[in-house]
Amino acid sequence: MRRIKLPPWLVLLLPAIIVLMAVVLLPLILSLYSSFTAYRLTRPDSLYRWVGTYNYEKALTDAKFWAAFGRTVLLLTIALNTEMLLGLGLALLVSKVTRGQRTLRTMMMFPMMFSPILVGFQFKFIFNDNVGLVNNALQSLGLTEQAIPWLVDGKLAMFSIIFAEVWTSTSVFAILILAGLYAIPKDPLEAAKVDGCTSWQTFRHITLPFIMPFIYIAMAIRSLDVARAYDIVQIMTNGGPARRTELIWTLIGRTGYVDAKMGYANAMGYTSIFLAIFFTVYFFRKLTTARNELGMGG
Amino acid sequence: MDENRSHRLQANALKIAHLLTLFVAMMIICTPGLWIVLNSFRPTVEIMAKPPVWIPNELNLDHYRAMFGGIGEGGVPVLTYFRNSLIISVTSTIIALLVGMAGGYAFARYRFRGKSAIFIGLMVTRAVPGVALSLPLFIVYARIGIIDTHFGMIITYVAMNVPFTVWLIDGFFRQVPKELAEAAEIDGCTRWQAFWKVEFPVAKAGIASAGIFAFLTSWNEYALASQLTRSVTSKTMPVGLLDFTSEFTLNWGGMCALAVLMIIPALILTFLVQKHLIAGLTFGGVKG
Amino acid sequence: MKHLAHGASALVLGLVCASTAMAGEFDGVTLEAKLIGGQQYEALYARIPEWEKATGAKVSIISKKNHFELDKEFKSDVAAGTTGWCVGSNHSSFASQYPTLYTDLNGLVPAEDIAGFVGANLKAATLNGKLVMLPRAQFDVSALYYQKDLYENEENKTKFKAEYGYDLAVPETWQQVTDQATFFADPPNFYGTQYAGKDEAIVGRYYEMVVAEGGKLFNDDFSPAFNSEEGVRALNWFVNLYKAGAVPAGTTNYLWDDLGNGFASGTVALNLDWPGWAGFFNDPSASKVAGNVGVAPAPKGSSGARTGWSGFHGFSVTEDCANKEAAASLVNFLTNEDSQKLESSAGPLPTRTAVWDYVSEQAKGDPYRAEVLAAFKETAATAFAVPATPYWIEATNLIYPELQAAILGDKTAEEALADASDEVDEMMQENGVY
Repeated sequence: MRRIKLPPWLVLLLPAIIVLMAVVLLPLILSLYSSFTAYRLTRPDSLYRWVGTYNYEKALTDAKFWAAFGRTVLLLTIALNTEMLLGLGLALLVSKVTRGQRTLRTMMMFPMMFSPILVGFQFKFIFNDNVGLVNNALQSLGLTEQAIPWLVDGKLAMFSIIFAEVWTSTSVFAILILAGLYAIPKDPLEAAKVDGCTSWQTFRHITLPFIMPFIYIAMAIRSLDVARAYDIVQIMTNGGPARRTELIWTLIGRTGYVDAKMGYANAMGYTSIFLAIFFTVYFFRKLTTARNELGMGG
Repeated sequence: MDENRSHRLQANALKIAHLLTLFVAMMIICTPGLWIVLNSFRPTVEIMAKPPVWIPNELNLDHYRAMFGGIGEGGVPVLTYFRNSLIISVTSTIIALLVGMAGGYAFARYRFRGKSAIFIGLMVTRAVPGVALSLPLFIVYARIGIIDTHFGMIITYVAMNVPFTVWLIDGFFRQVPKELAEAAEIDGCTRWQAFWKVEFPVAKAGIASAGIFAFLTSWNEYALASQLTRSVTSKTMPVGLLDFTSEFTLNWGGMCALAVLMIIPALILTFLVQKHLIAGLTFGGVKG
Repeated sequence: MKHLAHGASALVLGLVCASTAMAGEFDGVTLEAKLIGGQQYEALYARIPEWEKATGAKVSIISKKNHFELDKEFKSDVAAGTTGWCVGSNHSSFASQYPTLYTDLNGLVPAEDIAGFVGANLKAATLNGKLVMLPRAQFDVSALYYQKDLYENEENKTKFKAEYGYDLAVPETWQQVTDQATFFADPPNFYGTQYAGKDEAIVGRYYEMVVAEGGKLFNDDFSPAFNSEEGVRALNWFVNLYKAGAVPAGTTNYLWDDLGNGFASGTVALNLDWPGWAGFFNDPSASKVAGNVGVAPAPKGSSGARTGWSGFHGFSVTEDCANKEAAASLVNFLTNEDSQKLESSAGPLPTRTAVWDYVSEQAKGDPYRAEVLAAFKETAATAFAVPATPYWIEATNLIYPELQAAILGDKTAEEALADASDEVDEMMQENGVY
């Protein structure tokens, strides 16, 4: 028996590639195909009705689609940057503590224990204008006389969603950055101290460059996942009212499953994959640059 | 003297400001979660009261009692859901970590053509919208008969977590100086031994955090689970949450009780595993 | 034949005898079922072993989910071609979406068993001449819940009379609801009323209001008919209450759970809501208004017709089922008089005439329950189902953002309805409806 000798890197990568091919790529090809058909879930025969690029043309000329697209980009940008800054702050705060770190780290990760669907319900009730926690607190403290319509007013509704999203995901940044902080070599830090650098200078020139790769890893992973925040948004507002919080994902979910127009939904899905690819490639580039600066490239 | 004292004062003020900020931050992080825990012990009439009831008049275990009760008395097969969740999450996390370690090592240690492209290719799979995936997956699974099984859920979660674990572990392996492993090999270790004896312990922190992430993702995932599970044979706890809803009603107190049961094991596991992150602390010495 | 005697002794009604008399006839048959899950619905499933015993068949519940998830699963099943299971939960608002999935129960279920159902329910369960499901005791129509003490307060009475020129009494028309809701409202502490604000829910509410105003949502060919004078009047009811601050500012984001919790919190005077909440509202451990809840039939619109958007849960048998007789027997069993009595004893409304009488009789000693039943019975008499088009849900998804836009003041009622009408028209044409 002659064995084909595969290069070791391929052998190591093979399991990952096989799993992803089976669970992601294969279904994707199926749905790519269906995006060129007039596929309706409730009429299986429509899977064979080829309509060419009709679905794509329809999506690309639909103002509602672009509005949702733009809003998704906006949400991604705001949420990611806020999470990154808060996560960095939190990690620095926690890393400076000398006692009770273990408990603090667990507390810091507390929101990650919450299933997105639970977070959706939770914040829907917290932001309820009539009996919700936030309005009750504000009114009890005498800060407002009004019932603030958190989930209805266009800006406030986006704020509430972003708040819920940031609440769940800041921990991801914090924990990764914290891991990065622990990995910083002590010598340069001590050298900086001896040289009389201020703590800001030390942070800016030693700490920050070192944890940058970790920030980019977290950024890229979150940018892909934030798009999956579908559960939260769907339960909190389901894109409403009057499409004020409609994101690509709520739009696709409704079109595909509720309206049963899977072909069209998949066409919108593929258009928006480019959004995700753009973010991934962007952060990957950043990551490589940051690594090269630290001499960890490869 | 004076200068020294003002210096000390300043240091103390900084310390207090630091602790205060930390306290406020932790408050914001914990309040919404603790609200859920509190709700699970309160009668529904107090949860959404107006004017609000800030100090609970009554705490009881009614929601828990009902949840473990029989069919028709508000009972939900919690223990079965719990078992399903545990089996699926733990198995898929372990597999995802092994696959991820192999992949991460390949990216960190080998040079090969098309490396960036392969890497991005792997990552992009995570960007695929759940909606585009869930139906074809359902069709494929239904046809080969692994719908509503643990196996189906496990491989789905492995695929979901692999890009993440590869990436994360790759990042940590990169920080282990190559020379370290090379030195071990010179000392007569095989590459395999060098990996386990030298590189693995050092990258343990990364593996631990990847493990936490993978576990929590599987433990909490809802969208795909709701599509690929359907009965008590494989339904996980997030899907079980919806048992507290009917067409027009929603039992929020009961949901909170189940949520608490979901959170506790995750919390314990995190508390236990995160100590491996400390392994990263010794890192400075290694690099220097 | 021991189990026959057992079954017969359990209850001595003709219908049960009819099904138990055929004991053992489905020996060895296993039926796969996909049933709606959730606390409210599962008490009935405890009866299944009784049927298994009587017929020798086995039931294996292969899926138990909430209604919306189940709907997704049915659609996915149709898409995947995996429709070999036999019995499925169904709902009158969703049934028309799966024209090929379910079989005609006429002929499979004895005609005399079918005859026992309320006529209007049977009509709504019949699509294109096919009886696609048998309704269970989960009939839903909305009646008006209110806080009783508001109407007993002398100060309220005199003030209201001075302001509106007629006596303050529980409203019978939607105009009176508007007046009283505006009168009672004291935001942010108290609101006059509230309504479901999104998804199919608000379109259903709007639909019944259009009907009460004398209009139609769709023409007979399912082209949109709501862009009319009646349609505008109906929409303005929602718009005006919102503008007046008589409803919570967040109402456009409310679904049923928010509405129920809102009324139970004691901050809403009048609440058009479903029978499923009746017990909850009067339960002191769940609701602040317990003991103070009144229930009246749904008010009337300007045409003199009551609102009465209704729906019900039921069970269907698939076209691909290998043993339709056994499946139909199970469906029949789950919707027979005993099953309906069991289910409606917990609060839900029945769909069989005899069971309506039975529950009214049972409620004699309980004034609250009697009031609830009377109000819902009155409303049910003129209730109507959603338009029987497979595109109902899709249409609601086009209509509701426009309704919200009008309520929030982004558009006028006329503009919003014109836009919604155009979109629905385009969708219907694209689907080849006309």
